[in-house]
Amino acid sequence: MVYQPPVGARDLFPLDVAQKRWIEDRLQQVFHGWGYHRIITSTLERLDTLMAGGAIDPTTVIQLQDREGEFLGLRPELTASIARAAVTRLAGAPYPQRLYYNANVFRRTARDTRQHEFYQAGVELLGAGSVAADAEMLLLVLDCLRNLNLNDSTVILGEAGLTRSLLSSFPEALRPAVRSAIAHLDRIQLEQLPLTDELRDRALLLLDLRGQPMDVLQRVSQLALATEQRATVNRLKSLMELLQQAIGSSPAQPNILLDLSLIQTFDYYTGIVFEAVSATGQQVLGQGGRYDQLLGLYHPKGESQPGIGFVMNIEGLHQVLLPTGCLPTQTPPSDWLVVPNSPESHGAAFTYAQKIRESDHRVRVEVELERSSPDEVRSYAQRRQIQQIVWIDPAGQPMIESID
Amino acid sequence: MLTVALPKGGLLSDSIRLLQSIGLDFSAFLDASNRQLEIWDTHQTAKALLVRNNDVPVYVEYGQAQLGIVGYDILREKQPRVAQLLDLHYGQCRLSVAVKASSPYRSAIELPPHSRVASKFVNCAHTYFQGLDLPVEIVPLYGSVELGPITGMSEAIVDLVASGRTLKENNLIEIDPIFESTARLIAHPLSYRLNQDGVQDRIEQIRQAIETARRV
Repeated sequence: MVYQPPVGARDLFPLDVAQKRWIEDRLQQVFHGWGYHRIITSTLERLDTLMAGGAIDPTTVIQLQDREGEFLGLRPELTASIARAAVTRLAGAPYPQRLYYNANVFRRTARDTRQHEFYQAGVELLGAGSVAADAEMLLLVLDCLRNLNLNDSTVILGEAGLTRSLLSSFPEALRPAVRSAIAHLDRIQLEQLPLTDELRDRALLLLDLRGQPMDVLQRVSQLALATEQRATVNRLKSLMELLQQAIGSSPAQPNILLDLSLIQTFDYYTGIVFEAVSATGQQVLGQGGRYDQLLGLYHPKGESQPGIGFVMNIEGLHQVLLPTGCLPTQTPPSDWLVVPNSPESHGAAFTYAQKIRESDHRVRVEVELERSSPDEVRSYAQRRQIQQIVWIDPAGQPMIESID
Repeated sequence: MLTVALPKGGLLSDSIRLLQSIGLDFSAFLDASNRQLEIWDTHQTAKALLVRNNDVPVYVEYGQAQLGIVGYDILREKQPRVAQLLDLHYGQCRLSVAVKASSPYRSAIELPPHSRVASKFVNCAHTYFQGLDLPVEIVPLYGSVELGPITGMSEAIVDLVASGRTLKENNLIEIDPIFESTARLIAHPLSYRLNQDGVQDRIEQIRQAIETARRV
């Protein structure tokens, strides 16, 4: 019998873990630096909790059933869990709440051989709805990318509320088709929809409303806008100015691209939305946005709080960082190998090893357990890149030998 | 570097002619002695990959090619996450239901429930019969689908029809068209958003070339 992992599952060995930790440690430094606190929520959620926001396709959730017949799912993302936990258990805590997580998520794909389990590190800023909160989120994304030496990446920024509102000028029957075509960049579909020339031009304009933020805002301002739409455009303008001031003259920065065609086909995000994309455009490194209606869905009385967050995809980051050579290429070797030179000196060897460990909290000390010949011990130390061997005699006397 | 995925087979020569008209020369692919799968254009400004029809959207979806040319039939069947930008108006054909000429059925809806339908276009066939609310068993085949009804394995087929000659030579008749297909220009969505390697300019040039060609 050969036991294999389930299709789409993978094991992470020590070197994989060291590389993953390298990325996660850098993200965590940034989250801590901005005053965020870690939250750990359940891997399993009730299916209705996961579905409440309307952004999750139930067919992508790996489902289970508990003993009472309740439908459960392995979380495909963490915002739903955090929203559920925050509205019920953090009620009364002073706002805003700054939370971060570092967790595994599970997703079933149509092509079922693809990976099922992924790792994500992300933040949620709950109870702050201002332009300054939007700016904090984007600055945090830029800081994460910078701390990972990914200054050549791009943040694509959209405004779900504004784009949705601009779509309201289309006849209701055609609106979902227009929205879907814009979300999927399907220009052919847009050109074939039964729209008036004026509306078709507007749809095509929306499809390509992207570029340097101030240029795009200039172009949007020239459209006939309702009061509320103009207010959103002004808010975006304030956001861009705020970012400009905050980033100031610091030289290396990921580029920000404003793209008003960046929308989803579901109403989950209510304000800015964004994706961090690698320099080659081949990896989505992270994504997020503002969701001001979500917390209300989890509140017993429907009271909502503004919320905004983003997540960094550890696998995507790993793929982009690996060829740059900045990830560790080996697990850290032990500093010392403590070897009892006879079976009687084992006790003394453990005692001596502990003495070294206590001298410096970062030192790694192994005790040799079974090899007896000194040559075997030396060859093992060499292969493991351990530089110091300490031979211990039954009296506990050490003899240090350096290996090169 | 701009990379274009080009399909082997019927769409290749028109596609190469189209790219030539915007200054990208990949005509080496048309040389019968060519065995290369990746070539540079003569000015070294772009690269082309020669791949199976079905694989064009795969290379584009994963971003190994920023642009690709592929039949709409493949896009309908595989539903890849790519930006569909331009109808190139060549490679016209349609996906149709066909039966043996001697079959008593003259429309798809008349087929008896639970009959077998052979096709390379499993998803399109499934969606179509589901739309008719007619339960059928789709038998996936990879080539020479016409043999399905001839050997008696299946009652009908769902396959591409261009001139209709293959059907006729095999004593089959087309009973219901499902959709029309032409060649399409597709792009990797993020490369399109980021305008990588001047991809937007190239798309605009292709759009103009197509419009000019259609005016003549």
